[in-house]
Amino acid sequence: MSGPRRHARSDVVVSGLGIVSPYGLGTKSFWSGLAAGACAIKPVTIIDTEGFRSRIAAEIPADVMGSLGASRRRSRADRIALAAAREALADSGLAGRERAESGLFVGAVGGGMLEGENWYWDEGRRGVVSPRMRALRTILPYSHAETLGWRLGLTGPKETVVMACASGAASIALGADLVRAGMVSAALVGGVDALTRICFMGFNALKLLDPSPCRPFDRERRGMSIGEAAAFFVLEDAERCRARGGRAHARLAGYGMSTDAHHVTAPHPEGEGMIQAMRRAIDDAALPPAAVGYVNAHGTGTLQNDRAEALALRAVFGEGGVLVSSTKSLVGHTMAAAGSVEAMATVLALQHGLLPPTANLEQTDPDVAFDCLPGAARAADVEAALSNSFGFGGQNVSLIFTRADS
Amino acid sequence: MTDRRVVVTGVGTINASTAGGRDALAGALALGRSAIGPVRGFDTASLASRLAAEVDDATLASLIDRDAARRLSRICRLALAACVLAVRDADVPSGAGLGIVVGTEYGDFTSSRDFAHGFLNRGPGGLSPMIFPNTVMNTMAAIAAIAIGAKAPSVTVNQATLAGDLAVARGARMIADGHAAAVVVGGVDELFQEVYQRLAEMGALSPMRSRAPEGCRPFADDHNGPVLGEGATFLVLEELESARARGARVMAEIVETAWGNVPTAPHTGRATRIDERSPVARLIRSRGDADVARCYGAGNGDPAVDDWERALLGRDLRARTDLVPPHSLAPLFGQHGGLGALRVGAAALDAERGPGTVLVHGIARGG
Repeated sequence: MSGPRRHARSDVVVSGLGIVSPYGLGTKSFWSGLAAGACAIKPVTIIDTEGFRSRIAAEIPADVMGSLGASRRRSRADRIALAAAREALADSGLAGRERAESGLFVGAVGGGMLEGENWYWDEGRRGVVSPRMRALRTILPYSHAETLGWRLGLTGPKETVVMACASGAASIALGADLVRAGMVSAALVGGVDALTRICFMGFNALKLLDPSPCRPFDRERRGMSIGEAAAFFVLEDAERCRARGGRAHARLAGYGMSTDAHHVTAPHPEGEGMIQAMRRAIDDAALPPAAVGYVNAHGTGTLQNDRAEALALRAVFGEGGVLVSSTKSLVGHTMAAAGSVEAMATVLALQHGLLPPTANLEQTDPDVAFDCLPGAARAADVEAALSNSFGFGGQNVSLIFTRADS
Repeated sequence: MTDRRVVVTGVGTINASTAGGRDALAGALALGRSAIGPVRGFDTASLASRLAAEVDDATLASLIDRDAARRLSRICRLALAACVLAVRDADVPSGAGLGIVVGTEYGDFTSSRDFAHGFLNRGPGGLSPMIFPNTVMNTMAAIAAIAIGAKAPSVTVNQATLAGDLAVARGARMIADGHAAAVVVGGVDELFQEVYQRLAEMGALSPMRSRAPEGCRPFADDHNGPVLGEGATFLVLEELESARARGARVMAEIVETAWGNVPTAPHTGRATRIDERSPVARLIRSRGDADVARCYGAGNGDPAVDDWERALLGRDLRARTDLVPPHSLAPLFGQHGGLGALRVGAAALDAERGPGTVLVHGIARGG
């Protein structure tokens, strides 16, 4: 055997989008909600919240769940993942062998834990063997990729990426690596998480949930709000997309990843890893920082994240050097899906020339030296935009998209 | 941009047979003694399955600082110990150029159970904010990254049967793509009573409701299911030029990686289905099979995995029938998330001794 093959680096474009969000099924409803600045964070209905500090979240509405065609024997997360992935593939227009050979990269954390909890709660409280044990078959995060790979007939590389709240963004970066390297010409990438008791209880236990809808970057913010969603992209080699007459929504111009190696739950106080990820993405995109007109922030609404992220943004872009907003104020923190949900918001903002707002933001924290687009979406002609995702374990991922025509 | 060449420069392992660096692994492989025995950690009297390959707690304790051990869950201690051993074995520098990829099948279920029990027993007041972060599968990578100072990307991959192999493939890609100069890659799982018990009840472990005796017998006529193991094994991968520049001892080069999916219903295998685009077929087309000296496989005694792997390799390596069935390490160490990294570690040791190329293959239920 000889040495490794050499590859020329390919340009990567986004040729398909699909999402199930707290606004409903599909990219159109997602964009309508973002553009209207509608906050989808409401009282939780699918799990018991009695006794908890925060009792709200951004759930996928019951009628939307009911409309999903997937089998009710699948987990809630598998069902929304399948619906979002199908939309993305249909939107891309990929067909036949090109579609079948696509890679599959799924960011996941909770897996089918909601159904696993239903079983465990049953047995824990009643002390009897529950027929819900079947739920264990879908409890692990990789169950989403197994379901998608099987139902969608995909034969390319398949990975389940667990990088906490950066999982969805990481799935995009890791899938793009293989497109760039020429290992696949297209990849279905994205993240999914359904609301689970463990997640809801855990962030309550950490006192990181705001009892009211979250207010990222507001001086009175008191934490985050949880959400649930699935969002998938089709990434494609730009030449191949053009050659087959596909439509590019945007170009994935660059991405950067880093690790704080500082603390399991807290970000580095000076945002060291965040700065590294953003700078790597900017270098990868071969753009000057000033070319980036908008940042879709990780923006959780927790004191630690918002302050560290603001410091990092200032280090990279200079004080007030870029427009910033947090989609989490609208659809909550969708955990493993957040990175792909917010990347989608970023792509749609570039497409529409309209930047989604930060909801519930009344008085910006003086430590946040940026225009955080309070209240209402703002028209802006932006050529390049960056989406930040950070997670437990000091995981940092930054993605840069440019307009398809740029 | 061009691919960078990727080499293996270190090993760290703590498994049911041994703990240490490359020499410890080489010793365990040379000895060839199975570490599978009756489960010691919990009662299996009510189950049909009673075997496992368990890590000795005293060995684990000897590798972890006592204060750190108090703060960390057992699976985090396993991952931390093996990563530190690997970094020490390779003597690789920490910092912005060092990444980590952790593969796991089950993650830290012990912490998820303990966290849920807190609520079920005492309500919201019983929830531990200290335990909650461990319920996310990347906690092992987070702990290890802090300990070894890995500031390049830290990735956790979740996968049945092949978690360790997949972590190695992803880590090699990260170096080839320039995301890191070195990456600590491997896998970890712990033996967890509830998982063991449920899998045994579902008939997913040997003896799988068969009449043959319980045991791990990959590719044998009377194979009747996997036997679980536990442990952590990590390798240090480096970019060839930087490894040479710092005078590292290069064990082997990872000349190519390929992985893919066979659309199959979750948790099932297809013994008769041949995949036209299988990763092995792609590698063989690209490089030929003439100098392949040995092939390691994922066969672990599960008939669905064994038969599928034998059929695939029988087709893809039809000119090399001597390589099929592949060599399995499951009888030595038991099935767990670190087993794939043990396969790659064994392959690296073989390659270092030479001659020839070593092929590491794996397939899992669910495609």
